[in-house]
Amino acid sequence: MQKKSFLLLSGLLVLSLVLSACGGTDAPAEAEGVTLRVWTHQNDAFNSGLEALADAYMADNPDVSISFETFDYDTYIQTLQTALPAGTEADILQMFGSWVCSYAEGGNLAAVPDSVLSLADAREQVFEAQIAGYICDETLYGVPQEFNIEYGATLVNTAIAEEVGISDITAGWEIWDDFTADAVQMAVVQDDVMTRAGYNFTASDAIPATFYSLILQFGGQYLTDSGFQVNTPEGKQALEMMVGLVEAGVVDPVLYNDEENWVGDSYFEETSAMGLVGPWVVPEYAGDFPDVADVTEYVQLPWAGSTQAFVASSGWGLAVSTNSAVQEAAWDFVKYVTLNADNAAQWNLASGTLPALKFNAAGANAESLVSEFPHFGPFLEILEYAQYEGHFPDRDLVWYDITYPRIINCLQGNATVDETLETLEREVNESY
Amino acid sequence: MTAASKAPPTSFFGKLITLRPSRDGAKKRFIGTTVSPLVLYMAFFTLFPLVWGFSLAFFEYSARRAGGPVLGLGGDNPFVGLAHFRSMLNFSPEAPLEIRQFHLSIKTTLLFSFLVLPLNLLLTLPLAVLIESVHQKAKGLFRTIFFLPVLAPSVGVGIMWDYIYHPQRGLLNGILSLFKGKLVGTNYTGDPTLFVLGIPVPLLAIIIAYVWQDLGYNLVIFIAALQGIPESIRDAARIDGVNGWQMFRFITVPLLKPTVLLAAVLTMISSFTVFDIIQVMNNDGGPQDLTRVMVLDIYFNAFRYQRMGWSAAVSIVLFLIIFSISLVQTRLLRTEWEY
Repeated sequence: MQKKSFLLLSGLLVLSLVLSACGGTDAPAEAEGVTLRVWTHQNDAFNSGLEALADAYMADNPDVSISFETFDYDTYIQTLQTALPAGTEADILQMFGSWVCSYAEGGNLAAVPDSVLSLADAREQVFEAQIAGYICDETLYGVPQEFNIEYGATLVNTAIAEEVGISDITAGWEIWDDFTADAVQMAVVQDDVMTRAGYNFTASDAIPATFYSLILQFGGQYLTDSGFQVNTPEGKQALEMMVGLVEAGVVDPVLYNDEENWVGDSYFEETSAMGLVGPWVVPEYAGDFPDVADVTEYVQLPWAGSTQAFVASSGWGLAVSTNSAVQEAAWDFVKYVTLNADNAAQWNLASGTLPALKFNAAGANAESLVSEFPHFGPFLEILEYAQYEGHFPDRDLVWYDITYPRIINCLQGNATVDETLETLEREVNESY
Repeated sequence: MTAASKAPPTSFFGKLITLRPSRDGAKKRFIGTTVSPLVLYMAFFTLFPLVWGFSLAFFEYSARRAGGPVLGLGGDNPFVGLAHFRSMLNFSPEAPLEIRQFHLSIKTTLLFSFLVLPLNLLLTLPLAVLIESVHQKAKGLFRTIFFLPVLAPSVGVGIMWDYIYHPQRGLLNGILSLFKGKLVGTNYTGDPTLFVLGIPVPLLAIIIAYVWQDLGYNLVIFIAALQGIPESIRDAARIDGVNGWQMFRFITVPLLKPTVLLAAVLTMISSFTVFDIIQVMNNDGGPQDLTRVMVLDIYFNAFRYQRMGWSAAVSIVLFLIIFSISLVQTRLLRTEWEY
């Protein structure tokens, strides 16, 4: 009897410990104040900007307390996926726009109230390429803070350009032939080994961005009423152009890919003279490579066809959980951070990102951004030409597991253009 | 019949549970106090996740979808029965991508494990014998040196070997360039066309890094086992006139069979569940998925692509493979004797 009672008591003790550990952590709506929990991924620049705005918000709203929890990127995705079904997620969730609909369709995200931002106003105030990721079945589920861009302009090491005799590379190129010539001139090959790429565009973000952007520029579309289509004249033209760049000698995709010489590392280590990667990379690497950062400029890529357009993912922004007990306060903070032009610009300055708000792409706020980040200039001129990449059942699968490996395989000479396009189209359509 | 008139128990558990005077009662209460809460805690955090993981294999489950009222199962996360397991038997070239990746991951994992095991044992056993043959003071030094990589975090090991394998700046190509008199730019981890005896070089590169880190573990196990071999057996062999190689082949290796079994099972299990070093060195499964092992496949499908039901099914397959191979190893390497 004693043994049974002891075991029973032990079991109850453990159960109570477990339940308290697993219990929901709803933000207590205290009589005198509100606590907002915010989840973000670990990016020092992003989070320092957000925390500064939170401090200012709390100063203006003393009854609100805001606490941050940050996670490294992979852990953040897993945390969202385990916390959402359990209902233990934070009130405000930092979201990458391309993910939003997959979470919203599961009923995990709250729709943005019209009092915060109506759909019509969202389309008017925010660049379409960015807000589109947050709109699911004509309902808005969050607000982007940045314009995510992985195409349109390339990193250029102006010192290397001068060294090889290219004067004023920052003036840009009218046509791709001129660009290719400069890239080949900046490449270095020793004993048949490329020791410096002229133009490194063979990373897992750059390849899909390039391929789908070129399709648009050649007058095509890859998302049609008949589904995903790239085995088209425009798709073939786009892929052949990419193969042509490799054959011309701008990059060796066997040595420069996601496994080795990833574009950001390679560019700042000066094993690439030019590289296709978004402007977020400059503040990320400038601290460790100040000399390279000093001679870095972004220069617009030439348009390839008759259409001035390029593909953009929907970038990082903020959403509110349906499980939040303090949604009104949460949306008020989100509105403060994302829709107040000065606050949004302040965050862009702190995080080194381009503005999602159209207002901040021109005028005094834009000038502040360019003054702090001169390399933003070429991007601000082309934001209006961006087209949202489109809704996929799983965008990361399409980008990283299908498009990138199939195209790099083609660029490495292991598959023909036709085989690649056929496989790409079939595999993406299977994912629906 | 009273407790006093019962025949005393002879089995271990019989003796353990037999009511005895207060000294043994106190001992049992102490054991109960310290062990029971932990056992219950572990049961809850091990058993429940196991059951949950097993159950998921029969559902098309994603954490992003709103499911039924019971743990999110059902509703938009429907019960699919054995559909996941049936689809694993689709070997057609037009099979969906996740199935082709699954088949490739099984092949890669088996290749990885069946290369790591003999390489590991072939290196560690002779090394252990060599270390045991040196002076006592040197033994400790060598043991420490070879064991240090085991203590290093796998992420650090992966980064270090990434540097060694770098095509332009890496140590390996640097040394080869010196010998060849010209620049060598082989991309060991990123070139899908490089094969050695049919084995992808990116996989071989990771195997070398993995074995480098892991061999210290089996080394100390073998050293301990060697120290357990009675010297009298060796003396008798020396009297019979055996040389060093004969001693190793006919005395040491047979006597180490139980230890070899232990090392083989442990090495096989850990190589089947390798993840971190591959994640660091070839973060998306390598060029053309050539280093996409099963655990990496499970991870991507579960946490990147939200196919938790499918991932759970793959996990069950992995468990069955490990279990089967461990059973076979145990059968082949067991001994009926001990010394």
